[in-house]
Amino acid sequence: MTPHGPAATRLAAHRPFLSYSGAATISQDRSRWVNPGDEELVARAQSGDRRAFEELVDRHKQKAYYIAFDFARDREDARDLSQEAFLKAFTNLKKFDGRSSFYTWFYRILVNLCLDYKRRQKRRPTDTFDETMEAEVESSHQPQKPRSPDQQVLARQISKRVDEALAALPARQRTAFILKNHQGLSIKEIAELMETAEGTVKVHLHRAVTALRQSLAEFA
Amino acid sequence: MEDHNKIANPCKALEENLVLFHYGDLAESERQQVGNHLTSCAGCAGYLAQLAALLPLTVKTDEPPANFWSDYSRELRHKIDAVSEKKSWRELLGGFFRPRLLPAWGAAAAVTLALALTFGHQFWQSNDPPKEETALIEAMPVAENLEFFNTMDVLDNLDLLESMGNPGDAA
Repeated sequence: MTPHGPAATRLAAHRPFLSYSGAATISQDRSRWVNPGDEELVARAQSGDRRAFEELVDRHKQKAYYIAFDFARDREDARDLSQEAFLKAFTNLKKFDGRSSFYTWFYRILVNLCLDYKRRQKRRPTDTFDETMEAEVESSHQPQKPRSPDQQVLARQISKRVDEALAALPARQRTAFILKNHQGLSIKEIAELMETAEGTVKVHLHRAVTALRQSLAEFA
Repeated sequence: MEDHNKIANPCKALEENLVLFHYGDLAESERQQVGNHLTSCAGCAGYLAQLAALLPLTVKTDEPPANFWSDYSRELRHKIDAVSEKKSWRELLGGFFRPRLLPAWGAAAAVTLALALTFGHQFWQSNDPPKEETALIEAMPVAENLEFFNTMDVLDNLDLLESMGNPGDAA
């Protein structure tokens, strides 16, 4: 699960979990005992071991949170969404049959919750983009916080336009784009998560990039 | 903001591969092909430069405060506790209605019904009125209608009574 492209280095600084592979590294036997794989933890959790499930949470919580954050673009909502995904996984754990990996199964739950959240949000009346929100968005968006007033105004404009452009994308295009651009998943992994063909993911990604390029062309 | 970026027109046939090239998600042979093409195509090179400038802008990063993750775990543990509690009650109740227990429940219901029919009969009878009382109750409507039947008898025999009252007519 390694991010690619120019954003990779910057992402890695904020999201160290991206290098996590879920596999042991030093001694296979020793690490299996010290650091069991997801599948083993799932099996233990399915037989009622709460600590095993908590271990799964500890492993995946950061990645889950950041995926939710990429969709929601709000800390509180991202926390709630990712926690809801863990709860849903916990209550449905006995239904998990191991046909896909726990990773794929769990992130599919999370992405579906995020898409539901976006659908609900679309139905809500749009909030006014007040100064507080602007300041919050500005401070969290890349590039680095600008210093001059002109640059601050530009950063606000970019933030607002990016949010609008992402929100305007159809759900499947947005999903493919976020999982690729923000999370650095491979096309194959995205296809598994979205339960679709790799070719379809490439089409969604291309269309999303084209739409965003048009919306943000003036900032290039 | 450079003007040449705004009008970057890539080759249509390569556009999808250029996006994948940007993300480093092309197979080696295709990557080389696109790389060679880029050296001679300003449109595609400009497009790629534009993607490199624009797409990172869409990433919003978040660095939660130090206590965020410990709070996160604690909060989630509470939520799981609440769900587990609900779940255990549901499982307890649901256990009675599991499909594999249905034949047992059916047999138990049948036995209960049989016992109720056998031994419960006495209880039902004890609530009935005594035999004499029952006979009286049954006879009451008959007694009430006795006068009516008597009237009907008189009407039936009206001709006979009339003839008995006038012996001359009878002759």
